Amino acid sequence: MVSREDANRILKIALQNGGNFADIFVERKRNVSISLEAGKIERVNSGLDVGAGIRVISGDSTSFAHTNDVTLKGLEALADIVSKAAKGHNGQKDIPVIDRPANWRPDFKKKPGSVPTEAKVALVEKMDKAARSADPRIKQVAVGYGDVEQDVLIANSDGVYVEDQRVRTRMVINAVAQEGDAIQTGFDSLGGLQGFEIFDTANVEETARNAAKRAVALLSAKPAPAGRMPVVMAGEAGGTMVHEACGHGLEADLVQKKLSVYGGKVGEKVASELITVIDDATIPGKYGSLAYDDEGTPGEKSVLIEKGVLKSYMYDKLTAIKEKRESNGNGRRQSYQDRPIPRMTNTYIASGESDPEEIIRDTKSGLLVKKMGGGQVNTTNGDFVFDVAEGYLIEDGQVGALVRGATLTGNGPKVLQIVDRVGNDLGFAIGTCGKDGQGAPVSDAQPTIRIPEMVVGGILDED
Amino acid sequence: MAFDLLKLGDDTVSRALKLGASAAESFLVSDRELSIEVANQEVETMKVAESAGLGMRVFKDGRMGFAYTADLSKTGLDFVAAQAMENAKRSAVDEHNVLPEPVGNYTSLDLFDPEIDKTPVETKISLAKEIERQARQYDKRVTITERCAYQDSTYRVAIVNSHGISEEYKGAYCGAYSFLVAEENDEQQTGFGMQYRLKYNQLNPKEVGHEGAEKAVRMLGAKEISTQRATVVLDPYVATNFLGVIAPALSAESVQKGKSLFAGKVGQAVGARLLTIIDDGAMKGGVISAPMDGEGVPAGKTVLIDKGDLQGFLHNTYTAAKDGVASTGNGTRGSFKGTPEIGTTNFYIAPGETPRDKLLAEIDKGLYITEVMGMHTANPISGDFSVGASGLWIENGKFTHPVRGVAIAGNVMDLLKSIDCIGSDMTFFVGKGSPTVRIARMTISGA
Repeated sequence: MVSREDANRILKIALQNGGNFADIFVERKRNVSISLEAGKIERVNSGLDVGAGIRVISGDSTSFAHTNDVTLKGLEALADIVSKAAKGHNGQKDIPVIDRPANWRPDFKKKPGSVPTEAKVALVEKMDKAARSADPRIKQVAVGYGDVEQDVLIANSDGVYVEDQRVRTRMVINAVAQEGDAIQTGFDSLGGLQGFEIFDTANVEETARNAAKRAVALLSAKPAPAGRMPVVMAGEAGGTMVHEACGHGLEADLVQKKLSVYGGKVGEKVASELITVIDDATIPGKYGSLAYDDEGTPGEKSVLIEKGVLKSYMYDKLTAIKEKRESNGNGRRQSYQDRPIPRMTNTYIASGESDPEEIIRDTKSGLLVKKMGGGQVNTTNGDFVFDVAEGYLIEDGQVGALVRGATLTGNGPKVLQIVDRVGNDLGFAIGTCGKDGQGAPVSDAQPTIRIPEMVVGGILDED
Repeated sequence: MAFDLLKLGDDTVSRALKLGASAAESFLVSDRELSIEVANQEVETMKVAESAGLGMRVFKDGRMGFAYTADLSKTGLDFVAAQAMENAKRSAVDEHNVLPEPVGNYTSLDLFDPEIDKTPVETKISLAKEIERQARQYDKRVTITERCAYQDSTYRVAIVNSHGISEEYKGAYCGAYSFLVAEENDEQQTGFGMQYRLKYNQLNPKEVGHEGAEKAVRMLGAKEISTQRATVVLDPYVATNFLGVIAPALSAESVQKGKSLFAGKVGQAVGARLLTIIDDGAMKGGVISAPMDGEGVPAGKTVLIDKGDLQGFLHNTYTAAKDGVASTGNGTRGSFKGTPEIGTTNFYIAPGETPRDKLLAEIDKGLYITEVMGMHTANPISGDFSVGASGLWIENGKFTHPVRGVAIAGNVMDLLKSIDCIGSDMTFFVGKGSPTVRIARMTISGA
């Protein structure tokens, strides 16, 4: 897209009035989305995004600009705009040459761009059919397909020059069940840093049936109980809890701004000894995986918490510069229109040793979370919530009635300290994580774990 | 970038017609954006951005196709019409896939304040710094600035369709906000203040700073409470969060697809008598007001719930054609990257007559909720919600102590019916507004 020589010339323009660091991010992205509802293909959308962002860091200050004009002339003009806000440390010497190989490279076997739209439409229709035939009470089904092919060029004044391609494919399904006045919905999704080959192994019909069954089951579910109780989260439930309870709090920008309860605690015990938390961008095919982050740093496997002891935060370039250390490849941006910030990739609690079934058997009463929904955290005080998409009462070690409408709320550090069982299973779920108005594809996972007490937001029977 | 939007629109529409489209529409946006984030009286991030793009809908044999491009060079324009035509081949035939016809006149709105463009960047930086200074002055326990910021945007929007609509309008808005942390005895609490306005001189950095500071400081010393049923008061921001859950159920599309709790209830009481909910795309002073929606249909005022009774739904051209009614001008677009889908514009709960102080003074025991967490997990189809909450405990009409770590759950339909008082105060947060709203009784899950 832009040669190394041209990139270097543009970076020098960006640094002409000062600044310690400059980078350029050029992006060309094609995407396709298909949506079906009411049994009809409603939308077939395609998009072409082209643009570039240039950033200059001067001390604690960042100047950033972006444009759609990616001609050399356009990029030079953009560099000139950015340079106006830069200051101090005048004059960049020659830009060195750094080649940092990636720790792994994805292998996209079937680029979605080369797959005919009919094949994508056929998959969408297949999921619709599978969900509808799962139960007569399924009255409405919405299916969404999306693929993205993003080509990026990243160059910076440290000498990094990286070209990378990211291909992501995903499917989501929302099934609506109705019986009398009651309406309930069930959701499921699958996706990865993969091309169309993801469907060689993924069973889209099973994903569709899962969503449908969840919606139907909820029709007869009781409202969730209210108050404090033991909670078991199944390994298949996804990883929203770890994402919210500690993931965000371990992002270095929040830590440095003193906006995280985990700030200043490296080396300290912040969780139960049973808890090891890892962020790993190098797992092939996962939704949050990356060969290089959006600053050209190779994606890594980082141990964040090891046996309860805080080991590291997640850094991007800016936060790494502030601590005079290296970024660990967590600098991500939604597009050329956004500046990079520290983000998670694939975040999980490592498997433990307990038998998941035994964990439930050993729980006298409480709530079993079989599927998590979305969540949110206030990193400053550590309070977090997450939605229970599928939850059951546990009574005398047995899985009891399905309940609906529960949210679990807790305090990250407190919850992780009291975890008393960690299972030997592990299940990933995909999501789009939102931070500072930027969405990033991530995946999260955790084994079956038990938390002796959490607040369940349910409903009290009227007295 | 001085693109001639109408000409680009014309060119692409003609191109699509040449490729065999029976009808075509181009939607174009060009904007310039500035944002300045300050912490500790230093500019932490300054962002200057320009962008432009075109989204194109084409129709052929009752099928619709869409494509967009952010590349307005020949490459992008070649791509967009051809790709939209290609996509149309794969979508379902639907006779209601139509474009609006041109109308005479649009409401003239004062959307462009030249001061936003003219004011030098240095002055805007000072404004952002002033927010932080005011916040720190308000209370010395306000010690950390997540960010204090100034932001503005100047934009042009154009819509051209093959039925003869060819319109362009421009506008600008500016905003100021504060995200702050107060600290005391090893405890940290956050607060925010926010103002978005059409006119530069309507921004008040002192108010934005004080609001964020007050909200952070008053949460210090927050305690958990036990599980109980009590009166709950939603502050305007929290109430607008609930409006976000109700909005999809008021869309005609949800009704047509059997996904709305309001379906079949027009003329019936769906909320307390006190409750009136309005959407007004051409509201005077509204930051997202515009003469037209994303399809070129004039924006206007739609009363959705009047004194508790459901009046109707929001329509775009497609749902209106399906129901044989007129579009309400709610075919909204997040950007040129998407098709016009039904969305709210300036969407609000009409103010009541009770001053906020009186609304609170009448409460024996209750929770004034100032923050909810996880509202995006509420289910707009079933109406079920369960969210984390924090706020201030009320006893005998007075705030006694801050509360955190509780959850509230229920169904929005029940919530609308349990409203027993609506305040006379009114606050807008960009496109959503509400006064303070009191709910007679609901479950608060705690320890």
